[in-house]
Amino acid sequence: MRIVRVVLGAALAAGFVAPAMAQAKAKPPAPPAAAKDAAAKSKVKPGPVGPLAAALVGGDVDAAAKAAASLGDDPSPAAHEALLDALSTGLAPKAAAPALESLAKHPAPADVAVLLVYAGHRDDDVRAAAVAALGAYPDPLAKKAGVAALGDDTEKVRAAAASAVAKGKWREGVDRLMALLDKGDAAAPPALAALADADLAHSIAEHLGNAPAATLAVTLGMILKRADFPEPAKLEVVRAIAKIPGAEATGALTDYLEATPEKPPRKSRAEAEKIVEARLAGGGAQ
Amino acid sequence: MKKIVLLAALLAGCGGKAVFGLSSSNDNDPQALAKALDLRQMSAAPKPIGGSARAYVVTSGKPRHLIAFDLAGEKAAWNVAADVQSRVAVGGDFVVAREGTDLVARSASDGAVRWKMPIDGQFVGAAADDKRAYVVTQTGTDQKPTWYLIALDGGSGKQLWRTPSTGQLGAPAAQGGLVMAPFLTQWLSILDGATGAQLTRVRSTDDEITFAMTTSDAAWFGSKRSVVRLDEKAATGARGTSTTGMAKIPAQLEKATYAPDGFDAVQAGYSASDRVRILWRADAKGDAWKWQGGGVAVHYFRYVLGLDESGAVRWAYSHPKVELVASAHTGAAIAAVSAGGEVIALDPATGAVRAHAQLDTGGAPVIGATFDADGWSPSGAGEPPSTVQALVAIARDRDARFEGVKELAVGTLAKLPGEQVTRDLLAMLADERTSAKLKETVIGVLASRDDPAGLPALIEALGVKSDVIAGTEPIAVGAVARAVGALAKQPLDEKQKAAAVDALIGQLRAPSTSVGDAVDVVHALAALGGAAAKAPLRTYLLVYRTDAEFAKADALVAATVDATLAAGADDRELVRFVADDARTQPAVADYAKKALAR
Repeated sequence: MRIVRVVLGAALAAGFVAPAMAQAKAKPPAPPAAAKDAAAKSKVKPGPVGPLAAALVGGDVDAAAKAAASLGDDPSPAAHEALLDALSTGLAPKAAAPALESLAKHPAPADVAVLLVYAGHRDDDVRAAAVAALGAYPDPLAKKAGVAALGDDTEKVRAAAASAVAKGKWREGVDRLMALLDKGDAAAPPALAALADADLAHSIAEHLGNAPAATLAVTLGMILKRADFPEPAKLEVVRAIAKIPGAEATGALTDYLEATPEKPPRKSRAEAEKIVEARLAGGGAQ
Repeated sequence: MKKIVLLAALLAGCGGKAVFGLSSSNDNDPQALAKALDLRQMSAAPKPIGGSARAYVVTSGKPRHLIAFDLAGEKAAWNVAADVQSRVAVGGDFVVAREGTDLVARSASDGAVRWKMPIDGQFVGAAADDKRAYVVTQTGTDQKPTWYLIALDGGSGKQLWRTPSTGQLGAPAAQGGLVMAPFLTQWLSILDGATGAQLTRVRSTDDEITFAMTTSDAAWFGSKRSVVRLDEKAATGARGTSTTGMAKIPAQLEKATYAPDGFDAVQAGYSASDRVRILWRADAKGDAWKWQGGGVAVHYFRYVLGLDESGAVRWAYSHPKVELVASAHTGAAIAAVSAGGEVIALDPATGAVRAHAQLDTGGAPVIGATFDADGWSPSGAGEPPSTVQALVAIARDRDARFEGVKELAVGTLAKLPGEQVTRDLLAMLADERTSAKLKETVIGVLASRDDPAGLPALIEALGVKSDVIAGTEPIAVGAVARAVGALAKQPLDEKQKAAAVDALIGQLRAPSTSVGDAVDVVHALAALGGAAAKAPLRTYLLVYRTDAEFAKADALVAATVDATLAAGADDRELVRFVADDARTQPAVADYAKKALAR
């Protein structure tokens, strides 16, 4: 692999994979801070990566995929470098997807250039893995690509993008998530719920009539389940759900009741209970 | 032709001294023809037979109306209820047409009925000169039909003479005392309008004669294929030795004709065939045929296309919203009337709208019109039309009848320079209502344009990304990439070139780009060259060489490997690595090895 890197050095330096590779080759990269932290906390002892690295770039794709997954459990810089190196010079889709997941477990700035390449990969699984991985990188280009991927043709990739937006807490993605909400896209609810504060929850609730009732109910229901969401705002969310017709809205409130202990008493829970009872008694949206 | 021979055989047994017979001593007699033509009383300069330029317009409804529209004054001279069922023939101070079952002459001054003649049998066609009206009718049975050519006094309607024919006669034409009648599609009989005596005949030996017509300066006859000037040379009977015009008409407009078919009963009245017409004028004198104005125009429903002598479109006019139902070349202008009653005059050389007037039809659609406007030249000069806009309008017309002419429009657009043309072509591709066949044509011409001015539009098109939220989708990426690649041979603005490379890279990296399109993108990047173009190609090869799906796409593999190899020595090392590395798909490795060995 060293030979390959030397041979490819000049050629790769000019490509858009090049920044990562050039940086990696100019000098052995210092272990990323996150990787150091992970190494310190990990129960898995860093081991020699040689065999895994060799399997990763070997001709056996299944072995490469396993190696890719295993290397992600190794927080050592050498493991990270092996993943980055292999991805930079090309991995089969079956191995690339786990390699991307592994890479993002110990994110380093140099990874972004490689992730951006794979975020446009023709294989849906590879693309989804790369897009999902972007959420671990506080990088403007990663953010831009992640938000853009919300418009991907493939549902799986949109879901990955939504998870990246949520993970990265990229508020720039909210408008596009709202657009997906209006389309009833399943990618929107978890991400919007994760990003929501009281104001965003209010904005989401205002999509009643634009967004499909079921998707809206699911989204607001997910917000309700967030332990960190403030109680006063939860009450507003409950009332917003009450206005949504259909079983999904009732289900969202029922889920909230089931997930929330009766004590200490909460206004939002009491309100939800009343609404559910009314609905089960034959009442509709309020 | 077989039909003619059969009829000829039947007629041969008829004998007698009928004017219309199979044998005649004065067929193709140049002297007799010259003598006959000299009898014509012709105006010194082109002018309408009725004196002032007019359009006689027939509108639908119950009852139909006949409107005499004064072209110079842009107002109706008169408007009368008249059940006009045929073309209107214009005489000196009268007009004549079939109305119901009668041949009716009306005063040109006020439209009042001057006389009527019941039509015995079927109306075939009518003509008029300064003094007389002529009508051809068909009577008898299908087994034993008889045609009559009848002359009537224009003033009184008195029948002057009547000549029978057992062979089919077509619609007549008249000029200055002569009447010309196509006979059995092989002869043009020329008769003295005063007496009905046959003066001479032209017998065509190599083509049909399906129509006879006149302009104020000459008489003409012809077929679907060609038009012949009625002069002494016409007596040779062959198109090659006559003064013959054969306009080069694009195949897409081949339905257009020089004049109504005088043997077609439908075309005895105004019909759809009037909307597909070659509008032409030719020199009335001189040894050789010469199209006036250096070409012809073709009226094709809503459109009028000016063609040069090679058949190439030199201008295009698109009439808004409704079809033009009738048209004529006056020599100085192309006059036309729309179904909505608009009367327009176009400059034959440029297509500029030199006159535009609205006829009050009371809301009734126009069925057809006859123009008596020889030599009429509107006072307005007009601005030449935007040929590009007209061609775009044609190409984007949703009427399925126009597929052929749309292709012609697209082909013509392709030869016109300018960014807007490229944009218009791209818009056609983006329009989901554009037929698949036409899109293929557009794609074909896009790359052949070779117009650097269009590069910004192409870059913009390539810059569109597939996005389900924005509802955007790039169109014809491969075709656009080919168009960009084709420009690589030309000197390009460096900034634009860089932008083009960026846009191509964007499509190369886009998962929505199909394998087929990716091949074109790779070729275009390779053609544009430069470090910025090469780097992404290397990355593409490295990343996808391991992908079984990529390996199946032979053309894409070849394009990528070849483009990378062509980039330089470092890239050769890269390809060697690809060829040897265990991760590389066998098909990719094989191609890389072969490419290295070349």
